[in-house]
Amino acid sequence: MATTSDSGTEFSADLSAGFTDAGQDLPPGTGPWALAWRRMRRNKVALFFGGLFLLIVVLCLLAPVYASDVAHTTPGFGNITGTIKEGGKSVDIVSPTGIPTGPSWQTHYLLGADANGRDTAVRLLYGGRNSLEIGVLATVITMVLSMILGVVAGYFRGLTDGIISRGLDVIWAFPALLLGITLGTVIAVGGIGPLKGNNLFVPAVIIGIVYIPYVAKPARGQVLQLREREYIDAARQQGLSHLRIMFSEILPNLASTIIVFIPLILANAILLEAGLSYLGVGVQPPNPSWGNMISDGLTTFPEAFHNVLVPGIMLVLTVMSINIFGDGLRDALDPRAKVRISH
Amino acid sequence: MKRYTRPAAAMLLTVIAALVIGACGSSSSSSSSSSAGASSGSSSSSAAKGGTVNFLYGTAPQSLDPGDDYTTQGAEITWVTYTGLTTYAHANGTAGTKLIPGLATALPTISDGGKTYTATLRKGLVFSNGKPVTASDFTYAVERAIKIPWGGSGQFITPVIAGGTAYSTGKAKTISGITANNATGKIVIHLTAPYGPFDNVMAFPAMGLVPAGTPLKNEPNSPPPGVGPFKVTNIVPNVSFDAVPNPYWAKMNIPGIPAAKVTVDAKISSNVSSNALSVLNGSADVFDWADTIPGSLLPQIQSKAQGRYKLVDLGGSTYYIFFNVKSKPFSSQLAREAVVSALNEEAMNRLGAGTLAPACYFLPPDVPGHPTAPCPYGTPGLGNLAKGKALLKQSGMAGQPVTVWSETRAPRQQWMTYYTQLLNQLGFKATQKVIADATYFATTGELKLHPQTGFEDWNQDFPNPVDFYGVLLDGHAILPTNNLNDGEVNDPYLNAQITKLGATPTTQLSSVASKWQALDEYVAKKAYVAPFGYEKFPEFASSRMNFGSLLFNPVYGWDWTSFSLK
Repeated sequence: MATTSDSGTEFSADLSAGFTDAGQDLPPGTGPWALAWRRMRRNKVALFFGGLFLLIVVLCLLAPVYASDVAHTTPGFGNITGTIKEGGKSVDIVSPTGIPTGPSWQTHYLLGADANGRDTAVRLLYGGRNSLEIGVLATVITMVLSMILGVVAGYFRGLTDGIISRGLDVIWAFPALLLGITLGTVIAVGGIGPLKGNNLFVPAVIIGIVYIPYVAKPARGQVLQLREREYIDAARQQGLSHLRIMFSEILPNLASTIIVFIPLILANAILLEAGLSYLGVGVQPPNPSWGNMISDGLTTFPEAFHNVLVPGIMLVLTVMSINIFGDGLRDALDPRAKVRISH
Repeated sequence: MKRYTRPAAAMLLTVIAALVIGACGSSSSSSSSSSAGASSGSSSSSAAKGGTVNFLYGTAPQSLDPGDDYTTQGAEITWVTYTGLTTYAHANGTAGTKLIPGLATALPTISDGGKTYTATLRKGLVFSNGKPVTASDFTYAVERAIKIPWGGSGQFITPVIAGGTAYSTGKAKTISGITANNATGKIVIHLTAPYGPFDNVMAFPAMGLVPAGTPLKNEPNSPPPGVGPFKVTNIVPNVSFDAVPNPYWAKMNIPGIPAAKVTVDAKISSNVSSNALSVLNGSADVFDWADTIPGSLLPQIQSKAQGRYKLVDLGGSTYYIFFNVKSKPFSSQLAREAVVSALNEEAMNRLGAGTLAPACYFLPPDVPGHPTAPCPYGTPGLGNLAKGKALLKQSGMAGQPVTVWSETRAPRQQWMTYYTQLLNQLGFKATQKVIADATYFATTGELKLHPQTGFEDWNQDFPNPVDFYGVLLDGHAILPTNNLNDGEVNDPYLNAQITKLGATPTTQLSSVASKWQALDEYVAKKAYVAPFGYEKFPEFASSRMNFGSLLFNPVYGWDWTSFSLK
């Protein structure tokens, strides 16, 4: 939220413009956030998918409860040579030729087993937890670092801007997936400092770094414009330090940009995590993630296609819900903006 | 197969998306190519006569240069492009392990108590580029294998041939232990100590002759000319190459080594499912024997490919888990016994789509010295988890962190995933480290990484127990790079026995078979490794191939000289 009248004017001016553009009257005395929320409430589709995403998050957070109280297993426990009862008959969890059983629609192996005899439903929820944790962590890393870099580069310009911008160009020059694979491979083999290949923090850091330019560059552009505004000059005249100006005058005016970017980065981070894990350089087995579940599932595809289908569905639903909700959020906060991440 | 009966637009979309993501794993190109023969210069006429066979590798050879390659995938082709002074009979089963003269006029004579090998080069030999072969080319090939270095040089050449170490370290300009007379073709090799299977060593493709002056570095994209039924052309790194008939081969008239009948267009595609389907539907002709057909495809292959698919037990291959015995927790024999006792071989077999024969001994069944005694920690089967837990508790190693090293390809990754789970069930804190197939063995072979435990396999280089023990469990074989003794096993008794028994000439191997048996039982009791299966390999070809006449060599797998089209 803006802390000065100047910056508040700046933010509400943007929002008002969008509101007026939409051909509606500006209600007197209504703040920018209330206006945004009003617009958001009208977007039923975005709200539905926001709710769906929330439901997925809750389900994934309840993974330990489901595993211990319903399925009575753990995500790492495999019973390759065991059997389950289906329709009164004893069925191999994994057949002698390595084919896992399909969905049983019972509490045990509700969505079937994977090649290692593990409960697919349990791994799906734990995998979702991992994917979401990594996505959120990567998003935090991206947003924090890119805001610091973008604001510093845009505010100071000159040599500082040159160094930061060229650094961002170097990262941007690599395709995100290729950079992720390279970093993931290096860390998987020997690790870098405290980062070791089997820590969930590793893919989060990799993904977080990969997406920094996608946010830092637009942020820098916006700061370059903001720093020329009169209220920034006024702040300088009052003798405020650079740090104070950046924190109290510039950063609040980037709030809508930050909020709009969060779902975009989150959706892309989850997708990139799935891609890296699929390729074996993201979440390391036996930890589940939707990406490595799809990769594992291919070994028994098409006979046991549920192991590709189920995590694939969850991945698509999650990313789709974040994207649609994020679009709605963007429309509500800044209807004129056309923020997209493409790589 | 289960059916899902809730069609909805969103579901359809997600299904398509999931399948698209899944399909991303395929890098295969199953389209056949007929350009190889036409583009191979002088060999085009012979290629045109026999046609082109489309061969699919799931894993790329390490190199097409014999001076570097030390993989089963590479040996399939280098065996028939770089013939050594000796080679193996082109035959199925144990007949295929028989040594025959290759470029030498006869098998080498052994003298000086097993320390000197003498052979004479055949006359009229030429390389695949038409250049005449001389005896000194043998010396050069050996020097090149040491310098590059070839993965087996540290075990089979450098310390074995007199002067090998001095040449390797740069103290000598040539190997003093080899003398070659270009006029007579006589080659004399002096060894540092008697080494029984040295005539087998001479059959390695790495010891196949290359022209003197060939660069002393790995040349995977333009391998040197060799002497063999095939020559390699049209190399696209990590994608494809062609093996075309060597136009000079037939004129050399070397008995026992047939000429190539076809051009082989070899493609590399990591998606073995796609490879198997391509061979099944006829868009490719041969599935690489070193790949595992996914269990999900076996039912349809068994029903649709009758008469062109079978599993072959080569009896010379062991799949095992190595333990680093130098560091915790596997420095404790009880901790190793805990794992061996709890290991569920049937689970491993199911993960391998039913292609594993149960194992507890390191030496596979067809290698002399394979024990017949009962397994020391129970018959391989479902494993005894309770016993394993008790042993681990006794060892005091419960709770120790363990990193399990694994390849990515199926079922090897699945095996190690199961193994990681088992370690956690036993009471270790195990995590998995998955390394790309192409770099896995090079990575675990870096001694400084000291891998704790993980997947390892060995397919015999030659039918002699010293090929297993001398390379994989001998303390003298621990090397800074290309190390194959991953567990850093350095047991003085074991080392002494390997040296002693390894000196026995191949022809007298049966006289020491019982001693090898006793040694193998000793290793099983010490639980230095955890063998979990003897692999059966797929012989699978398209209906275009003359399946009945295909040969499957127990050392090198597919014999490409037997490839022919109907």
